[in-house]
Parts: sequence; C-alpha cells; structure tokens
Amino acid sequence: MTAIALEVHELTRTFGSGDTVVSALAGIDLAFRRGSFTAVMGPSGSGKSTFLACAAGLDRPTSGRVLVGGTDVTDWDEERRTRLRRERIGFVFQGFHLLPYLTAAQNVALPSRLAGRRADRGRVGALLDRVGLADRGHHLPGSLSGGQQQRVAIARALLTEPDVLLADEPTGALDSTTAGQVLRVLRDSVTDLGQTVVMVTHDPVAASYADEVVFLVDGRIGGRMAQPTADAVAGQMAHLDELVTAR
Amino acid sequence: MTALAWRSLRHRPRAGIATFLAVLLGTLLIGSFATLAESAAGAPAPDDGTLVILGAVVGGWGAAIVLFSVASTVGITTTQRAEEIGLLRTIGATPRQARRLIAREAAAISFAGAGLGAVGAAIAGRLLFDLVRGGGLVSGRTEYGGGPVSVAGAALLVLVVSAIAAAIAARRATRGPAGVLARDSAAERGRMRWWRIAIALLLIGYGLAMAVVTVTVTAHDDDPYAAMSTSGSSSILVGLGLAVLAPVLLRWGAGPVRLLAGTSATAHLAAYNTARRSHLLGGVLAPVVVLTAAAVGTLMLVDIDRRTLPDGTADSDTITLLNNVVVGMISLFAAIMVVNAFVAMLAHRHDELRRLRLLGATPRQVRSSVAAEAAVVAAVGVATGAVAALTTVVPFAVARDEGVVPDGGLWLAPVVAAAVAVLTVGAARGAVRSAVRDAAGRPATASAR
Repeated sequence: MTAIALEVHELTRTFGSGDTVVSALAGIDLAFRRGSFTAVMGPSGSGKSTFLACAAGLDRPTSGRVLVGGTDVTDWDEERRTRLRRERIGFVFQGFHLLPYLTAAQNVALPSRLAGRRADRGRVGALLDRVGLADRGHHLPGSLSGGQQQRVAIARALLTEPDVLLADEPTGALDSTTAGQVLRVLRDSVTDLGQTVVMVTHDPVAASYADEVVFLVDGRIGGRMAQPTADAVAGQMAHLDELVTAR
Repeated sequence: MTALAWRSLRHRPRAGIATFLAVLLGTLLIGSFATLAESAAGAPAPDDGTLVILGAVVGGWGAAIVLFSVASTVGITTTQRAEEIGLLRTIGATPRQARRLIAREAAAISFAGAGLGAVGAAIAGRLLFDLVRGGGLVSGRTEYGGGPVSVAGAALLVLVVSAIAAAIAARRATRGPAGVLARDSAAERGRMRWWRIAIALLLIGYGLAMAVVTVTVTAHDDDPYAAMSTSGSSSILVGLGLAVLAPVLLRWGAGPVRLLAGTSATAHLAAYNTARRSHLLGGVLAPVVVLTAAAVGTLMLVDIDRRTLPDGTADSDTITLLNNVVVGMISLFAAIMVVNAFVAMLAHRHDELRRLRLLGATPRQVRSSVAAEAAVVAAVGVATGAVAALTTVVPFAVARDEGVVPDGGLWLAPVVAAAVAVLTVGAARGAVRSAVRDAAGRPATASAR
C-alpha cells in the first residue's frame, strides 16, 4: 500500500475542437494522502466536476496521468475502469443515486453484488449503524428523507473499503441541518476508518469539515488552505470570483 | 401549455412513438373489420349475417384487446413522467395545468395515430373484403360497402379510450403534494384498486361460466359448433382478466427468482425490480398473457375441431377462417404491444441504468439484468396464459368426447410458449441495447449535473 491514495499528473481535459475548444482542466498536479479529507472548490466552470470525472475513470483526460492507489489507470479500457469504480472507488453523488426498488441495506450491498459476491450482512449492518440508520435497513429509498438517502449512499461507497471516496456536491440537495449530519458521517469515516475522501463542493461550510481545501480556477490550481474555516474559505472564494469576473 | 406539450414530446420521442403506434395499429385493426360490418347493410342474405359476424366478432375482440393495450401504453408513458410533472408543479403549475399538459400531449399523438390509422383502415378494409369474398365466404354479388362512418367510428372509439387512459394516469401522477426528489422513487407497493380487481374477476368469472356451460349444456347440442361458440372465447376472457391482475402476478412470480438468484447480480436486480415495480412491468406482462392465452387456446381449439370433425359442415370454412384470423390478429397485435411496452418502459429508465453503470455495473450486467426481467415476465406470462388457455381447451375437448386431455396437438402449447418467450426476451434485449448505449455515452455529464 502506498501512502498516496489518488494522484493526478499534468491532467488536462479539453472539449470541442478548432475555434470552439474549451479547456476544462489545464494541467493539474494533485496528490491525496491516505486518510486525508480534501475539499475541491472553485467558481462554476473551474473544472471541479471534470476533475472528479477524470479521477473516477468516468471521463478520459486529454493528457496526463491518473493513479489510483499507486496504479496508473489512465489507459485502462472501459471494462477495467468499470471494475475500478466498483472495487477501488466509492462514489457519492449530489442526487444520491440509490436504486428505487432496492431497500437501504440492498443498496449498500450493491457494489458487492455487482462483483458477483453476496455481501456480508454483518458488514452492511455495521455500515448502516455507522451512518445512523441501523433501523432503516428494510426501508425503500422512497420512504427515506434526502439526508437519510445520502447517508445510505455513503454507507454504500464505504462497503468495498475503496482507495478513495469521491463525493460530488454531496450536500447540494440538502438543507443545512441534514447536510451537517452527512458531512459528519464523511468526516468520521476519515477520522475513524482512515478513509480517503475527496469532495467537490461550493459550500464553504461543507469545506470546513475537510483537512485541506484546494481551489481551482479556470482549470488550474488557484490556491490551497489547510485547516479551513467556513469564513476563511468564503473570503477566499469571494476573492477568486472577483479574479474571474475581472478578466 | 400546448407549446410546452410539443416541446416535451420532441424531447421524448420514443415514448411518443409507442403511444402513436398503439393508437395507429388499434385504429387500423378495429377500423378495417368495422368496414365489413358496414358492408353488411347493402348485402343480400345470408351474406349480411356472415359479414356482421366477421366484423362484430373479430372486430369486437380486436377492440377489447386494442383498447386494453392503448390504455396500458398511455398509462406507462404517463406514469413515468412523475418526475417531470413534480418539477412543473414545484415551479407553480397547478395540478389542473399539469393534467391538461398530459391530456394535450396524449391527444396530439392520438389524433395523428388515429388519423393515419383510419386512412389505413379504409384501404385494409377493402383488401380484407376481397379476401373474404375470394375465400368464398360471401357471394360475388355482395359489394364492398365500407365508408367513412365505420372507419371514423373506430378512430373515435380509440381516441376516447386513449383520452380516458391519459386522464386516469394524469390524475394519478398529480395526486399528492408537489415535489421532485421524492417522486424519483418509482418503487411502491402499488395496491390494486378495487375496480381493477372487480373487472378482472368479472372477466375471469364470465370465462369460467362459459367453460361450465360448454361442458354441461352446449356439449350435448346437435350443432357441433355450439360447443365452440361457448368455449372459444373463454381463454381470451380469462387471459384478459388475468392480464388486468398482471402486477400481482409479477410480485408472486418474482419470489422464486429471488430465492434462486444466488450471487448473480443480474438475477438479484431483476427479481427486486419486477417485484417492487410490478405496476410498470405489469404493462409488459399483460400482452404476454393475452398473447399466450389466445394463441394456445384458439390453435388447440381449431386442432381439436379438425380432428373430431374431419368432414366438417357447411360452416366449417368460415369458422376455421374466423378462428385463424382471430388468432393471427391477436398474436400480431400482442407481439407488437410487447415490443412497444418494453421500448416505452426502457426509454424512461435511462437515469437508472446510467446509475448502475456509475456504480460499477458493466454494460453486460445492465443488459442482462433487463433481459432477466424480461425472462421473469415471459415465464410468468406464459404460465398464466397457458392456465387461461385451459379454460377453452378442456371444455371443448370434453364436448368433442376427447376427454379432459385432447388426443393430439399437445405440442402446440410448448411451441407457442417458446415463441412468446423468445419474443419477450428478444424485445427487451433490442430495447435495452439502445438504452445502454445512450446511458454510457458521456457519463461525465452525470456527475457534472
């Protein structure tokens, strides 16, 4: 096991061609230590989501390398990248992405099922307990609140003990109280389990739960902040917005 | 609202096409047989009787099945738009406006489908008449008399039914509070409404009663076709009744699959999807049941008739043709409906299939989970349809003194069952292939949302 869970080198991603070429990522170098919680922030269009998609193997970078747990996965084909997502990357989306016809416990066990194994019931129960939903295992997503659904999604992402848990605006669809619960669950998974979490967000309060914030501007790294507080992050974001507007 | 309806339609062409096809084919079918009945007005006896029977019997059966499938297609496509409708309501559309949107959309598609179907029916009706006269069922003196009345009547009937189906589905979609996220969860236990159970019991009860009448009364009639006239419709009646109960049947059928799933991810997903979204997949199961029931029941009926009455009577040709037309028509229509229903259903599961891909399901796993769902539907449908077919086959075999089990033609049932199963799974595979391709197209946009 290497000490770095996820790293990207010289990552670029451009869309379109000719005159209409748009550079979403313009050369990014980042490394995420095992057991760290990093927030990736930036104004709209700064390349946050593209970065996450490339890191997860959902999108192919135009150039550069992506290493998951020390393995270079950049040139893997779709089949291998699918297995990568299933086994070594945990995903938490803004829209929860639970399957509506599976219960909370079955949703948590799904990655294991897709890999052709029966999930360990004890482990599924323990994960649901960890996210505070031990008594909701038999509920369908439709009867859970948004915050509860997102916590189920986090339990699902933790099932395979992935190299890295990628979260894309995990609190974007939640109110501040339930968002706090979700963020605490993410924070605890880092502190208690040594999980690595990379979270894209535009909410300074969410970012304050992380160990470090990386700011992206126009597809480049525009700054970093260790031990962030919500106020400091909000100030920095306002500053970055001014930079972007000024140009 | 009308402009919005058009935009919405352009955005979801597949679901629109499914409704369009159902309406078009329905009008074509009912319309062309209606022209036969209309031709009877100017025909000399006994041709007028023959034409009325052909038009009314076949047209009537066609109407029942067509209306049923139009209703279920419109139902499927509307139910699946709960999310969009929830969104419209959160930004201030009243339930009334949302219902009007659905109604206008359904009306626009249905008008186009029914109009084209009516034109087709006018042409097909003439061809059908030539076929009937060429077959010697009516004399050469009788002329084609079909006009705009019968064709327009058929179109109107289909339009009214699709309007009612859309209204019912729209009411269901707009019931309850406005909201977007909560509606995403299309999994519900889907309790049967009382009127649905009542209709099902009525149809099944009527079919069984006819079966009993066949054994106790018409079997002893001097006319060998009396028994056929009472038993012939039982399989279709019971099949339709069971089709109305499709969601319940699916929930029962999914149970064993769950137990047999083992570690197979695809079987696991398919079992829970069929059980917990039985109200959606029920729309696919219904035509499978009717198709199997009608085909097995009628084909074996004709087979028993041919064996026990080798020389036939004066009416034999007409009756055999009638039976074959019924079976051919119902089979063709039901087959199209099976394909149609799968396409309509999968067109709206993009999000869910893409979700599976993002979570690490391979394209193959996604495809085979849908194929496995289809296999569950096929198995439940074929078994249910075969049971329904018994209500025609057994009484008629008894009436023709072959006993409870017919003396031959038993191979017909497994052959039909296999054909139906292949059709069902094939339709699903075809429909899912395009759905998965689109879903995996550019997955990055999924997380960028």
